[in-house]
Parts: sequence; C-alpha cells; structure tokens
Amino acid sequence: MIVLEFLTILILISVFAGVFGSIVGLGGGVVVIPALTLLLGVNIHFAIGASIVSIIGTSSGAASVYVKDRMTNLRVGMFLELATTSGAIFGAALAAYVDSAALELIFGSILLVTLVPTIMKIGENIPKNPELKDLSKRLALTGSYPEPDGSVVNYNATRPKTGLFGMVIAGMLSGLLGIGSGAFKVISMDLAMKLPMKVSTTTSNFMIGVTAAASAGIYFARGDVDPLIVAPVALGILIGAVLGARVLMRARNPTIRKIFIVVLAAAAVEMILAAEGIAV
Amino acid sequence: MNLKDPEAMNEVIGNVLRFGVVTSAAVILIGTILLVATSGFSGTSMALTYNPNQVPHGTFDVSLAGLVKGLIGFQPFSVIELGVIILLATPVSRVLISVLLFAAEGDRLYVYITAVVLALLLFSMLVTPFIPAFNA
Repeated sequence: MIVLEFLTILILISVFAGVFGSIVGLGGGVVVIPALTLLLGVNIHFAIGASIVSIIGTSSGAASVYVKDRMTNLRVGMFLELATTSGAIFGAALAAYVDSAALELIFGSILLVTLVPTIMKIGENIPKNPELKDLSKRLALTGSYPEPDGSVVNYNATRPKTGLFGMVIAGMLSGLLGIGSGAFKVISMDLAMKLPMKVSTTTSNFMIGVTAAASAGIYFARGDVDPLIVAPVALGILIGAVLGARVLMRARNPTIRKIFIVVLAAAAVEMILAAEGIAV
Repeated sequence: MNLKDPEAMNEVIGNVLRFGVVTSAAVILIGTILLVATSGFSGTSMALTYNPNQVPHGTFDVSLAGLVKGLIGFQPFSVIELGVIILLATPVSRVLISVLLFAAEGDRLYVYITAVVLALLLFSMLVTPFIPAFNA
C-alpha cells in the first residue's frame, strides 16, 4: 500500500471517527484503533499512540465549536478532572503490574451492564432538575445551555461524590489501558449526576482531551506517536469533530442518547474482544 | 472585554482552542503534503494491508534535538511532529487559561481546583516519561 492510498483511507476513517467521537464524548479511539489494527494491520502500540492524538483532536476540535455556545460545563469538567488526572497517573504507575486482559474483560462487562440503565432513559429529553444542595452547591455545579429551538435549559448536578468516584475509575483505566475512557465519563455524569445528555457528552469531550494529554507524554517519548499514522488521523479527526459538534448543536438529547448507546455497545464489545486477544 | 462575564470566558477559551486547532492542522497538512511529495505517486499495491516496507515508518527521532534538526531540514516527519505537539498543547493551554479566567472572575475555589488539575497534567505529561516505574 503506497503512501497516498494509506493517507486517504486513514483520513476518511478519521473523519467518520471524529463525527461520532465528538457527538458522544468518547473521542475517536473506538473507531481509530480497530480500523488501524484490523483493517490496516498497524501494530497495536502505534494504534494506541494514534488513538491518543485522535482523542485530543476530537476534544479540542469539537470544543472550539461549542465552548462558545455554552454547551460544556467548565466547572463540572474541572472538578471531575481532579479525579481523572490523579486516577490516570495512578493507573499508569500500576500498568506494569496488572493483567490488562483481565481488566478489559471486567470493564467491558461493566460497560455492557451500564447499557441497561442508559437504555431505560431513552425517551428522556431533559432530566427532572434536582435541587442544588450540599457539595454541588458549594462547587456551583449548575449551568444552562441553549436548545436548538432557542429555549434555555437550566440544570443542577446531583451526587458529585458518586460522579467523582466514577471518574477515578475512568482515569485509572485511561492510565492502565491507554484509552480515553469517555464511556465511563459520560455514564458517570448521566446516571450519577443526572446532567442533560448533551451536557454529559460535551463535558466528557472536554475532559477526555485533558486526560489523554496527561498520558500523551509517555506515548510520545516511547515513539508510539508515529507521524505517518498520526498525520492523516489528526487531519481527519479535526474535520470530523467540527462537523460532529455542529450536528450536536442541532440534535435533541434523545437522539444523542441513541447514538451514544450504539457507540457504547461497540466500545463494550471491543473491550471484551481485546481481552480475548483480538487486537481492537 | 469584561472577564468577570462567563460569556467572555467561553469566548476567550473558544478562540484559544480555535487558534490551536487551526495552527496544528495547517502544520500537519504542510508536513503531509511534503511527505506525499517526497514519497512520490508511483507504485501501487493490491494489498489492503499496510506494509511497513513500502511505507516509510518508524524512522523518526522523538528527541528535541532531533526535532529541531528535522525542522531545519524541512523533514516531513518533523513538521508533522511539530503539528502534533501544537495539538497536544491545546488541552494544556485550555486548562492554563481557565486558571487565569477563574481568577479574573474572583472564583477562588475554582482557581485552586484548576491549578491542581494543571499541576497534575503537567506532571503526568512532562515528568512521568522520565520515571522508570511509569515505563515498565
């Protein structure tokens, strides 16, 4: 396969990954890693290196569109980022001592189980707004965002400690497995903190960029961030993320949730397959 | 511009991100064009699997000295690497600017929270690659 073919195929795949990654807040790794390993026969280490770049690209590319439109909750993101970054550092230090196949099997199964409550909420447009109290109140975990019809939705976060706990797990997984673990981030905000779906996916989208940047240094220094692979991935992802963010602004919460459920199921299956030695 | 206004905060962060994203995409694009130009358009293969023998790969230098040398020589891989580094810096600058903007808003608690996140991020990004336990 010559350079131009390789670059073209990878750019197209990455545009697709960027569109979906930015809408569901998972980054593009779910698409980029299996495409590289299974379709293009790239070594898993370079695929993970490319995935880290794709996550940062999705995060920054999409956020450049919707930060301005007040979609992301910066306070919720920063508060939870305390847990994800410390979890990621802890996870990276543990990586050498942990059986990654067992981890993938456990967490792939957990993701499958979380499909159930996520599907149960399938018709929910805007969650019932809980009272802002205790820790959520002290941390000002509240906000508002504009719906496509021009109305403004106000929301408060609840159970910040449960959310924080979910984020420690998400962060540790990022450090251990080199993934963005956006699925756990969205689920923590959606199921525990009861944020509107769009706020959960866009805030996760902000957070995965920071978490991925935290582990990028190690992968970069190891030489896993291969310019030949990363260039088309970054270009495609940035285009896709900007497109996806525009779609998200116009879509309703139930639509976002349906897309999230499909990607969540794919991510869970991928993780379990990876545990079985199929490099996705 | 009134920095105490949350709208202004989002505006500043949005502009920083846009600048980082556009710059990195432009630099990576230049590197990619250089790469295609130097690899040539000749030769094709029916194999759908990526072949490291046909596509130059794994020969890049990740050290700072190597990067600078490559940039001076206008090497495609070094130009792409520079673009990737700019992209990796966007989340960092986003957190850094958030510290400043929370300070301008007078929100002390979030200045602390964001400063801790920034410290953890920089530690993880720049220090852990040099700690053997993290590279086993």
